[in-house]
Amino acid sequence: KFCSSLAGIMLLEVFLALGTVIIYFLFSKKKEETLSFKEGWWGRGQKPDSEEDTTIRPFKVETTEEELSDLFRRLDQARFTEPLENSCFHYGTNSVYLKKVVSYWKNQFNWKKQVEVLNKYPQFKTKIQGIDIHFVHVKPPRLPEGQSAKPLLMVHGWPGSFYEFYKIIPLLTDPASHGLSDEHIFEVICPSIPGYGFSEAPHKKVLVGPFQFGILYDSLILNVTNFNHTLFLFICVPFSGFIFSHMKGLHLNLASVTNMGVIHLLSILLGRYLPGLFGFQDEDVKRMFPFLKKGLYRILLESGYAHIQATKPDTVGCGLNDSPVGLAAYILEKFSSWTDMEFQNLEDGGLER
Amino acid sequence: QIILCFHRSFEYSQKHAVLVPVAALGVGGMLVFWMRSRNRIKILEMGNGWWGSGERPLKGREDRSIHPFKIETSDKEIEDLHRRLDQFRYTPHVEGAAFHYGFNSSYLQKVVAYWRNQFDWRKQVEVLNKYPHYHTTIEGIDIHFIHVKPPYVPHGQAVRPLLMVHGWPGSFYEFYKIIPLLTEPARHGLTEDDVVFEVICPSIPGYGFSEAPHLEGFDSIAAARIFHKLMSRLGFREYYLQGGDWGSRITTNMAQMLPQSVKGLHLNLVFVGKQGWRRLISIMLGAYVPWLVGLSREDARRIYPFMQKNVYDLIRESGYLHIQATKPDTAGCGLNDSPVGLAAYILEKFSTWTDKSFLYKDDGGLESKYSLDELLTNVMIYWVTSSIVPSMRFYKENFSRDPDLTLHNR
Repeated sequence: KFCSSLAGIMLLEVFLALGTVIIYFLFSKKKEETLSFKEGWWGRGQKPDSEEDTTIRPFKVETTEEELSDLFRRLDQARFTEPLENSCFHYGTNSVYLKKVVSYWKNQFNWKKQVEVLNKYPQFKTKIQGIDIHFVHVKPPRLPEGQSAKPLLMVHGWPGSFYEFYKIIPLLTDPASHGLSDEHIFEVICPSIPGYGFSEAPHKKVLVGPFQFGILYDSLILNVTNFNHTLFLFICVPFSGFIFSHMKGLHLNLASVTNMGVIHLLSILLGRYLPGLFGFQDEDVKRMFPFLKKGLYRILLESGYAHIQATKPDTVGCGLNDSPVGLAAYILEKFSSWTDMEFQNLEDGGLER
Repeated sequence: QIILCFHRSFEYSQKHAVLVPVAALGVGGMLVFWMRSRNRIKILEMGNGWWGSGERPLKGREDRSIHPFKIETSDKEIEDLHRRLDQFRYTPHVEGAAFHYGFNSSYLQKVVAYWRNQFDWRKQVEVLNKYPHYHTTIEGIDIHFIHVKPPYVPHGQAVRPLLMVHGWPGSFYEFYKIIPLLTEPARHGLTEDDVVFEVICPSIPGYGFSEAPHLEGFDSIAAARIFHKLMSRLGFREYYLQGGDWGSRITTNMAQMLPQSVKGLHLNLVFVGKQGWRRLISIMLGAYVPWLVGLSREDARRIYPFMQKNVYDLIRESGYLHIQATKPDTAGCGLNDSPVGLAAYILEKFSTWTDKSFLYKDDGGLESKYSLDELLTNVMIYWVTSSIVPSMRFYKENFSRDPDLTLHNR
């Protein structure tokens, strides 16, 4: 009797312990780590005591004759430096090709027409944390019965802009007209990161990073959508992946590897010889190894811009803001190399492909 | 018998007598050989090169003449500059930025106002022309240099030739104040017995009034070889060298190439090449017992905290080096088109490289050490010659071939 009661108690204890462990895991799994929501103020001077203006004003991109003639004057007076013989795009943007681009820019590119293209989607501005945030907001033209549009925020990177999404927006808001199934229909919001394009630049320094922009976007969505932020998707390009509490899904087309551990190190050292061990496929091995050449040197070769922009942005941007040709050379070099590294071997950087 | 023994012992010792000197000679010879081979300096290969556009002429047909020339300017050049200064587009900096984000744009507006309204380029061109300028073609490109001879030579003094090489973003103009003290020491309060120099300051190919190389591969070794040829063309077999920044690298290469020609080498920037265990240990110990590893108090003050002062500071300040060593044509494009952008880029270095603490000043401390005329004249040399892009290419040519520049450190 003593034995059975002892056994019974032990069994009970075991069940209790197991039960506690199971319950603990169930609940601890639910607790996700989120970045804390911090308030900020990026406007000029002190934050005023009054309530912030939360209205959303429609906005249209405009241009003037003065703007155009100033551009043409600068293009006309551009000073080019002859490239080294056979250097293609190895030293940066090839100035022989750049001259062709500038000639097109002067004679054939029609900025007024392009402004109309930009204005084909409705744009707005609203003040958040002291600065004007610009965004495009496209609603689906029609919704099948019983369906609601999923709000989708798409964020650009550098040196891109909201304009990069213009071709895909119709496929997201009106899939049926483009031969796709209308199971998922989105209403798309494309903001400009503060400091980029038509969004005002922050006036304060420190903590002006992707994290703060994330909070700005959250406020933006809360202001903009009529939904109780239940359904929420998120697409990101470089510089903009951050997790918010209302997010239903996250799609990235550039993933940053931050956690480097022993396993990653081992995979670099041994992955070439034992790809299966680390889950590498043939294509992975082809792209990653030899690691020094394809990994480290390539990063060093391409990251000069990041280094100088992360340390002396006001210096490097000064001349680019004054010389449209310099700005084009700087930005287009990335559109060449980041599309395909091999384009550096082409005299025209492969841009018009 | 005694005599026989004596005789035999004499013969025996005679054999030894021969052996010992022979052995001594053998050992001595080996010793001398070993000592000489230790002292034999490793020389850098001189090689040869061609940097001009088009066909290389036949040997012996290259034009070796030296042409004097004067720097000139025109109304058109000045009007073009003024127009660009007037149309400068300004970006407000973040509040409290000082020089931490690069050149402070509020202070830049002041510099541009001075440049537009008070800076007199014609007057500065006359200043530049106070020393005689020359051009000569070497390895297919025009090499510019100034050559200043002492106006009089004190009795019994030999005049020593001195080649001084600038760096980036400097120019031959940086030597203008010291040249009089070198060519005429007596007039500047230095004694009669002091050495007198004749000074030659070239422009590195791709910088200022020297033609830029048209082909890839122009590194400091090529520059060193060209400068040796220059000195030889001027009639010098032995000379002294001075260099800072790239000039330091180039003059060091020159000494490594032709040690018999280089009588003395003075550097105001030294590249630390050999990293080894001993250095690592002395760095680690030096923080606590500097005297043990040969560091003075001032040395310790400057080196430590090590990570902060050497690693972080280096990363913060080397963005320009990284982009110029990889994409010079992109980095320099806008700067060749916008004089204000060029000035911001160059003068940022004149601020930070004079004193790191200037980063905290709204005006970068520039006018505390220099006059705007001096600073802008240097910038104008890059502007009127359109040499900012080739000057940046020099970084790529040197770093991409030999990332840690080990060739020079052996």
